[in-house]
Amino acid sequence: MLKNFTLRTKEHDVIKLNDEIVEFVKNSGVESGTCVIYTPHTTAGLTITSYWDPRGLEDLQDEIRRIVPTRIDFKHQHDTPQDAAGHVKSSLIGVSMSLIIANSDLLLGHSQGIYFLEFDGPRNREYFVKVQSDR
Amino acid sequence: MRDYDNAMRNQVFSLPKLLKEQYEDLEPKTRKLLTTPEIFAIQKIVITGCGDSFAAGLATKHIFELLTGIPTEVVTSIDLSRLYAENQLGNSPNNPFIFAVSHSGTVARVGESVERANKYGAYTIGITSNKDSYLGKTAKKTLDLDIPKFESSPGVRSYLVSVLSLLLIAIRIGEVRGKYTMDVAMDYRKDILTQADLLEESLTSMDSKTLALALEWSEMEAFDFVGSGFDYATAWYGHAKIFEAVGKYAMHINTEEWLHLNFFMRNFSKIGTVMIANSTNPSLSRAIETINYSLELGRPTLVISDLKEKAFAEGCTVIGTPISKYPISIPLTQFVPLALLSGYIANMIGEEDGRGCKDNWSFAQHGNAVKNSEIIVK
Repeated sequence: MLKNFTLRTKEHDVIKLNDEIVEFVKNSGVESGTCVIYTPHTTAGLTITSYWDPRGLEDLQDEIRRIVPTRIDFKHQHDTPQDAAGHVKSSLIGVSMSLIIANSDLLLGHSQGIYFLEFDGPRNREYFVKVQSDR
Repeated sequence: MRDYDNAMRNQVFSLPKLLKEQYEDLEPKTRKLLTTPEIFAIQKIVITGCGDSFAAGLATKHIFELLTGIPTEVVTSIDLSRLYAENQLGNSPNNPFIFAVSHSGTVARVGESVERANKYGAYTIGITSNKDSYLGKTAKKTLDLDIPKFESSPGVRSYLVSVLSLLLIAIRIGEVRGKYTMDVAMDYRKDILTQADLLEESLTSMDSKTLALALEWSEMEAFDFVGSGFDYATAWYGHAKIFEAVGKYAMHINTEEWLHLNFFMRNFSKIGTVMIANSTNPSLSRAIETINYSLELGRPTLVISDLKEKAFAEGCTVIGTPISKYPISIPLTQFVPLALLSGYIANMIGEEDGRGCKDNWSFAQHGNAVKNSEIIVK
C-alpha cells in the first residue's frame, strides 16, 4: 500500500511527519510488516530525532550547516550555492528510512519523531509511504 | 496592411518565435557565463553600449537592482572610455562588472571602453554575436549571441535579444546570490517565455491600431517619447527608430522633465507625443497627469501601456501591450508598437532606412562612422 503526501516547506524547515504516517499505518490494516518512507528530492532529507524540545530541531539544522556550510566554491555551479550544499546534506542524511510495524502500529521510541528536513526552501515537497505486510 | 508592409513590421511579427528560440539558446549560456565566486564578487554593475544596446541597458538597469540588490549604472560608451573616473574602475578587485553590449562587436567606442575598463582592473563581459570582433577579443568573457539572419531594418530583433540577455543575467545573479529561491527564478524565466505567446496573441490588434495611428501621424513634424524608469528605455528606443526609419526630429525625455521642458514647443498639433506608462511603474500617477496635460495642450497623444484604455483620459490613443506576471518581463514587449509605428510611417512617406547611407549620409556606409574611429585608451 502506497500513499503520497505533499507539504509546503519554509527555508531550512524541519517538519514532523509522525501523525499522518502513524494514521496511514493504522488504516492500512497491516499488523506486522515494514513501513518505508521515501522522499524524491535531492535537497531534502528524512531523519528521526527527539521532538521534545523544538530548539533541538534548530540545533539539528545548525549542526548540519556547520558540517556542510553554504560556500561559493562548490564545483556544482549549475544552480546555486544553497542548492549545491543541499545536495551534499541530502546525501549525508538520506532520503529514505524503514520502520517496523508491530501490533498494527509503528515501532517508534517515545521520543522519536519522524522529520522532513528542508535544505533549501521554500519549496513544494512530497514524500511517499509504503506499507508491506510480513504475510 | 499589405499596402504598408515593411521590414520592421516583418521583424516584429518574427519576435514571438525569436523569443522562444533565443530563450532556449541563452538560458543555459547565461547560467554558465559567470562562476559562483565571480557572482559573489560583484559590488557594482555597469552596462554600456551604443544606440539600441544602450537602450537595452536602460531597460534592465532597475531590474538588475531589483533582482540583485547590486548598484547598477548605465553609462554611454564614450563616457566610459573617455571620462569615467579611473579610480572607479578596479576600485575593488575585478570591479565593477561591466556588461558591454554590441551585436556586431565592431563599434569602436564600445570596444575602446572595454579596453580601458580592463586596463584599470574592471571585469568586462561582452554580449556580442561576434567573438572575433574588437569587443569579443577585448572583453574578459563573452556571452555569445546567435541571432538568425533576417530581413534588414532598424533594430527590432537585436533589441529584443539584448534585453533578454541582460534580463537572464540579472535573474541568474539574483538567484545565485540567494535573493530568491531557484523556484522563483524559474518562475521569472517562465514569465519571460510566456511573453512570446502573449505577444503573438496581441500582435494583430496592436498592428491594426498602430497602422490606423500611423495613417494619422505620417505627416507629423516631430515626435516626443516620454517615460520614467524602464518605460524611459522604451521612450529612448522609440525616438531612435524615428531617427533611423523615419528621419524626422525626435526626443526622449522622462515624465517629469517633459513638464519642465518639452511641452513648451510650438506646433503642438504636429508633434506626435508618445507616453509610456506601465501599470507597475511607481511613476504611473505622474505619467497619467502628464498624459492629461498633453491632451489639454492639444498634442496628438499615444499611450503605450499594459493597462486598459479606460485607465486613461478620452482623446488619447492607447495601444495595449501584454500583461506579464512580473514587471521585469514588460520591457520585452513594450517597445513593439513603436517599431511598428516607425516602420509604417517610414513606409507611408517613402523613407529609406538610415537614408540609405547615400548622398550626404554616404560617410556612414557599412557603419563606417561608428566602426572606424581613433582608439584612445588613457
